[in-house]
Amino acid sequence: MSSTSQKHKEFVAEPMGEKPVMALAGIGEVLGGKLEEKGFDKAYVVLGQFLVLKKDEELFRDWLKDTCGANAKQQRDCFGCLKEWCDAFL
Amino acid sequence: MSFVEDPACLSKSRLESDLVAHNVELPPAGSNKEAYVALHLRHVDQTNAADFSSDDDQEHNVAGEDPEGEKELDPSALTDEDLKALLFKYGVKAGPILASTRAVYEKKLRHLLQSAAEGELNEAENAVLYSDSDEEDVSEGNEDEEKESEGDQEKKSETLEPNQQQRKEKNAPPQKCDFSYPQCFVLSSRLRPCPPRNNEHSSKRNSKNALKSSERTRPHRSQIPAGISKVSSIAQHSGLRSGVPSGSQSVVPSSSSSFSSQAFSITQMVEKESWSAPPACSHSEPEHWSRSSRLDNDIEEGDIIMGQSVYYTPKDSTSVKEIKDPVKDILKDLLPDTKTSPTGIYATPRRPIKGAAQRPIQYAYPDTPVSPTIVERQDVARRLVPVYVQVLVFFALVCILLLIFVNVENTNSVVALLENVNQGPDGEEGIPVLDEAAGGDL
Repeated sequence: MSSTSQKHKEFVAEPMGEKPVMALAGIGEVLGGKLEEKGFDKAYVVLGQFLVLKKDEELFRDWLKDTCGANAKQQRDCFGCLKEWCDAFL
Repeated sequence: MSFVEDPACLSKSRLESDLVAHNVELPPAGSNKEAYVALHLRHVDQTNAADFSSDDDQEHNVAGEDPEGEKELDPSALTDEDLKALLFKYGVKAGPILASTRAVYEKKLRHLLQSAAEGELNEAENAVLYSDSDEEDVSEGNEDEEKESEGDQEKKSETLEPNQQQRKEKNAPPQKCDFSYPQCFVLSSRLRPCPPRNNEHSSKRNSKNALKSSERTRPHRSQIPAGISKVSSIAQHSGLRSGVPSGSQSVVPSSSSSFSSQAFSITQMVEKESWSAPPACSHSEPEHWSRSSRLDNDIEEGDIIMGQSVYYTPKDSTSVKEIKDPVKDILKDLLPDTKTSPTGIYATPRRPIKGAAQRPIQYAYPDTPVSPTIVERQDVARRLVPVYVQVLVFFALVCILLLIFVNVENTNSVVALLENVNQGPDGEEGIPVLDEAAGGDL
């Protein structure tokens, strides 16, 4: 369908469990490291932030940008990944 | 509870954001935190402490944008509750304001405040613009909104965005009403809820005409809008505002003046098509023109006459049909399923894309018209030897081969086998034959 990456598909295919934050689509090593510094060491912590922001796209993307300096594409990928995961499992 | 924090305790970024929020010039990029603190002390604390008077505005670098309360300008100085309440006033349902979410919400509030401030400036400009161009209701609406907002400055910022939107919406429909009368008979449904706001007689007449024409052309509406709506929208966007008559004039050269006030360019185009072909309609044409000339004289007469004269759709529809028949027949031969269309525009629906734009996936789509080559291929496929014929041929060949085999090789074992197989029906006959054969051979 749309252009989702392999990472996205893998993440959305199953419950995230204890996956590291770098398993999120759009979050690579650099961004993952920055997030871990801020305390978001697991994907579920970022999920927590996503949920606290009430799954709002604009707010979450702003937060991601402020926290780890993600660019627009990375923000979009991460948001999309989490949103789809929530739609499937939450 | 004091909203003022010691600037020295704030972080540099926090000070920076505070200064930005107060529209204070930031010190050069490489300066120390002390510079920020100093500026913060000078400007922000003054605004917090002093009363709001014009003197303050002169002192600060504020560009005259300080209409709201002190606490509202500085999201970072708000409590969580106040921040949440403010965001709610702007229509943002904020989630919990936590340590991790606070920064994001403050940023959002700043955006809203800035856009509100900008909207304030635009509002003044727009009020001037719109009050000149539009009349009565629109300008009154603007004035009312302005009065309301001026009276209550705090509420002004809050209601600014929705007001702006409302105003834009209000302005849009009158403009649409103004310039949609060429396509009234298509958009008459839109015109009905939208009351005729303008004083211009033409628009009123047109809206009424639209209703009447819509009643008459109801059977034809379904066919016309498909082809014409596009044309009308294009016409609208292509600067019809400058001169609505422009479209009609090009089509109706002789009586341009009469139609300048009632420009139904689409009907004219339809009529033109009908007239251009053939003589069948020629008699209607002079009637049309004569009526139009009468229009000039009788502009003040009842709207009903105008409606009748301008919309010849009942007559023209029949004439159009007569003319279009020879043309349509050709197409009907090719595609018998097409609906008739007076403008000659035919369109077959495109096959919907599966799953696109949240369309439900249909697993059975209506059959598309099949091209002749495909039909031929299907016929050819049918004419090839069907399966059962192949099976029959196979068994026939097997029987033939067996018979040949039997005749060629007269071995006892083979004959015996065969006789055993045929023992049921041919029991008595087989054995004497066998004996004879055996006896004959031996």
